[in-house]
Amino acid sequence: MTDQSPTALTATVAHSRIKPGYPRIIGLLLLALLIFCALIGPDLIGVDPVKQQLLEARQSPSAEHLLGTDHLGRDMAARLLSGSQLSLSLAFLSVLTAGLPGTALGVLAAWRGGWTDRLLTNISDAILALPGLLLVLMLAAISPGSWWALYVGISLTLWVEYFRYTRQRARIVLAEPAVEASRLLGFSPRLIILRHLAPEIGPGLLTIAAFGAATAMTAVAALGFISVGVRPPTAEWGVMMAELLPYWREAPFLILQPVFCLVLTVLALHLSVGGMQRK
Amino acid sequence: MFLRSCAVVLIAAIFYSQPTLAETKSNVTIAAPWEVASYDPAVSGYAIQKLEIMENLVDADEAGTLRPGLATSWSVSKDGLTWTFKLREGVTFHDGTPFDAASATSALERAWKQPGVLSKAPVKAVSAVEGSVMFTLVKPFAALPALLAHSTTIIPAPTAFDDDGKPSALIGTGAFKVKKFTPPQSIDLERNDAYWGKVPTIETASYLASGRAETRALLAESGDADMVFTLDPSGYSRLAEVESVKTIAVPIPRVVTLKINASHPFFANAKARQALSLAINRSGIASAITRFPEAAAGQLFPPALNIWHDPSLPRLEYDVDKGKSLLTELGWVAGEDGILIKDGKRFSILLRTFPDRPELPLVAAALQDQWREIGIELEVSVASYSEIPAGHQDGTLHVALFARNYALTPDPIGTVLQDFGPGGGDWGAMGWQNAEVAKALDIISSTGDQEKRAPYIANVARILHEELPVIPIVWYQHTVAIASGLQGVIVDPLQRSYGLSKVSWSK
Amino acid sequence: MTSAHPLFSAFLQRGLQALIVAVIVGVVSFTMMQALPGDAAYRIAAGRYGYDMMDAAAAETVRNELGLNQHWSIQLISWLSALAQFDLGRSLVYGTPVVDEIATQLGYSLLLAGGAVLISIIIAVPVGVVAGLKPGGAIDRLTLGVSILLRAIPSFALGVVLVLVFAVQMRLLPVAGFRGLEHLILPSLTLGLGLAAVSNRVVRDSVVEALGSEWRLFSRTKGLSARRTATRHILRNASLPVVTYVGVQMAYLIEGVVIVEAVFAWPGIGHALVHAIFNRDIAMVQGTALTLGLIYVLLNLFIDVACRLIDPRMRSQ
Repeated sequence: MTDQSPTALTATVAHSRIKPGYPRIIGLLLLALLIFCALIGPDLIGVDPVKQQLLEARQSPSAEHLLGTDHLGRDMAARLLSGSQLSLSLAFLSVLTAGLPGTALGVLAAWRGGWTDRLLTNISDAILALPGLLLVLMLAAISPGSWWALYVGISLTLWVEYFRYTRQRARIVLAEPAVEASRLLGFSPRLIILRHLAPEIGPGLLTIAAFGAATAMTAVAALGFISVGVRPPTAEWGVMMAELLPYWREAPFLILQPVFCLVLTVLALHLSVGGMQRK
Repeated sequence: MFLRSCAVVLIAAIFYSQPTLAETKSNVTIAAPWEVASYDPAVSGYAIQKLEIMENLVDADEAGTLRPGLATSWSVSKDGLTWTFKLREGVTFHDGTPFDAASATSALERAWKQPGVLSKAPVKAVSAVEGSVMFTLVKPFAALPALLAHSTTIIPAPTAFDDDGKPSALIGTGAFKVKKFTPPQSIDLERNDAYWGKVPTIETASYLASGRAETRALLAESGDADMVFTLDPSGYSRLAEVESVKTIAVPIPRVVTLKINASHPFFANAKARQALSLAINRSGIASAITRFPEAAAGQLFPPALNIWHDPSLPRLEYDVDKGKSLLTELGWVAGEDGILIKDGKRFSILLRTFPDRPELPLVAAALQDQWREIGIELEVSVASYSEIPAGHQDGTLHVALFARNYALTPDPIGTVLQDFGPGGGDWGAMGWQNAEVAKALDIISSTGDQEKRAPYIANVARILHEELPVIPIVWYQHTVAIASGLQGVIVDPLQRSYGLSKVSWSK
Repeated sequence: MTSAHPLFSAFLQRGLQALIVAVIVGVVSFTMMQALPGDAAYRIAAGRYGYDMMDAAAAETVRNELGLNQHWSIQLISWLSALAQFDLGRSLVYGTPVVDEIATQLGYSLLLAGGAVLISIIIAVPVGVVAGLKPGGAIDRLTLGVSILLRAIPSFALGVVLVLVFAVQMRLLPVAGFRGLEHLILPSLTLGLGLAAVSNRVVRDSVVEALGSEWRLFSRTKGLSARRTATRHILRNASLPVVTYVGVQMAYLIEGVVIVEAVFAWPGIGHALVHAIFNRDIAMVQGTALTLGLIYVLLNLFIDVACRLIDPRMRSQ
């Protein structure tokens, strides 16, 4: 009981039906905008995020550089867009890599029960033994600056939630008389899953996915901030925060930008699935 | 009830958090990036010496002129092979044990056996003679006294070692003794009232190792630290506007340099190294990053090292096209993505640097972009500084960026010998030999006659300028922030002392 | 899974977890060691004698001493068995025993974590209760908004903002360091705020639930005043999910400790871990990660026990 990870708990607390509401709409719109930006990336404004122009360092927003330039004269807007590509794609991929097997295994465990269930539960417990960031940190330490270490670490940490949530809900659903009836009638497992299980766990999974994505992005930024994550000159919001921190007095608009982007994205994700709202 | 108790706790917390009023005007707090990892002078000597905990036989003033320290005088035999350092009498270590020939000799012998500045000197033996320490040399070496002013030759007390001979305490003869040492981050000092020299005015001092430059700048601004060293360019310009703080930038004989592995096939030919140098936009870096435009390096030795700096040498240029053509001459061809290829190998290399000096990662980032112009793909690794000697020792280094102090000993020959002598050095040449330089260095170190040395020094400077086993980028400016009320602060260009024994608070 | 005595099963489960943590940390540290570029023997010898002191002979001695020329599977076994005997080795950078280093740092981290939890409780409980007493009201909505916002801000960004506001602008608190208790306030506040952002909602939810439940009715019928009702019955029942949730927040806390210590240069275990990774000091990485992991397991154990003690219903399970 005390092992329940934050998002799983939140998922049970959150709405089980998608209800309209202003925060949710705002969140979804914001998310759509961010995904759009991430898909196109720096090409949106056609500037190279890595190109330096030392003599134009730390400039305020202007016609040429919409959001100003950083300490090495690189265009901030281009870097933020590039960073959004990295963060969102990493988050998306991790969530997918964690979610699909996690859900599938959860259903498997609930369906089969017995030693399959016990084995899988023990594995998930084992991974939960270490706090997520610690695991990611250590994996990142094996090979500093590599993208895959972050990806693997985050995926490993996230899949547990899908597994537990799915297993918990599936057990309840699969024990229902309706499902019993479907089984007796000889419906295939796939049909049963689609018909009975999916609508039950779908919204919850979405919530977990959104929170997982937010966790992934914050983790990448945190590691970038303490210089264990992605390497320069790659633009990543956490790395940018660490790079721009010394200039917080001279040019506060610089460091505020990646902070703002990260907070906005996380906020969008939280809001779009109902945040922490209860009834 | 509950709310009331909450309020009480909150108010108590706020009250307790008020900074102690009227900071004790007999304490000075220093903040610098460097951690003090161990009790061993061979490892942490640079910090122990600067805090005046332990001292050398030979001292030096800010101009580099040698003067008596724990040795009152020294002399050399006619053949130049025997040096005798007469020790000061009546000196005791912090724990009361006497400073004598035996303790000095054992300390120096230890320093000699461990590779440091003394290991490159032709020392045959160190022995204690009544009231003096005697060095027997293999061949004449005029710079020996200068080496004895180096931070690795400071004298710890014999009682500072444990039974296994490992350093286990910080006990010396200096003006300050250690009250509390919390490695690696802080040292609390108190005045040594039994000091043989002028007893300091201030009563206590603290040293705080703070790795982040912006934190140090904040410590200066908020008054939590009274002397802050190695500020980043942004913090430095910010602090210049703060009233309670005085900022100083001192040009010192330190140079931001690139160490190149000349035994690596990419860099074996001097033309390749010259090409690297031609692609560096030094004035851009000096203006935008370090923000001292006049410090763009024209050659390796800065004007501060006046004999070694040769004004007649042509300045190192910024010419991307010339650099490209040099590499083309060596057989490199640009690939599709603009990166050079030769024999199927991409010109892709790794630069090692460290963050303790805030400029370094920035310069490294600038180099990435600048070298891309001539088709070199540079990956930057900002890690611990120890990765650089490690890379030198196991041969895996490509290029490394750091700030080398060429006047670690008051006479640069000590450092130059370490770096460019036979076999190179951890912080010097790698895989590069030059017989002419080796011979010249030999002659320079054997005599104190400046006239005789001059042509050889000029020769060494010229060859280093043409061959570029290390590539200079900018000359270093040592940035310091000092609390306004602190007087008598001398920023030592030789970086041997923080000057704690000479400072005082104005009333 | 639940055996006869619930407390016993809790200990057993956590004991197993501790074992798993040790194995995972050990294996990952070993992999780090193998993945380091260059020669491991060189590195260790350099750590012991200093880089200047290095030569091939010293590295060779180390190589034979530690059996670094054996197959990696054999090395792994000896690595793990050393770990099992609690031999954490010496720091590759400082040369001192890892256990000694950690002993010093542990105190600082516990201080930070304790301060953070204290602050989070001080903030979350009153706020949550007040919000919960009038669900849907102005305060409830305000705290929800602020909580969501706070939760979205990464802890290191929050830390930086707090430093800028309190230490520099207002000169109220120190910037960095760890000399006195006043240095504890900003780091704990940073962590505590993040924790409180979630905790206060949980408190609020529990209060709402308890308010609407039978306990309240029962207690009011008994003749207890509204206030007494709140403290005795509602709080006790509301505290169970809160205690559980505090357990859940432990993960956030441990992770936060690592990041916040790095930001404030607080000399705790998290700071040591980041430093050790940076310095490639594998022995310290292993030691600190192990300590953090085991603390996490220990905390969860406490929560388990606390839960069982608070809720009489669980005792008889």
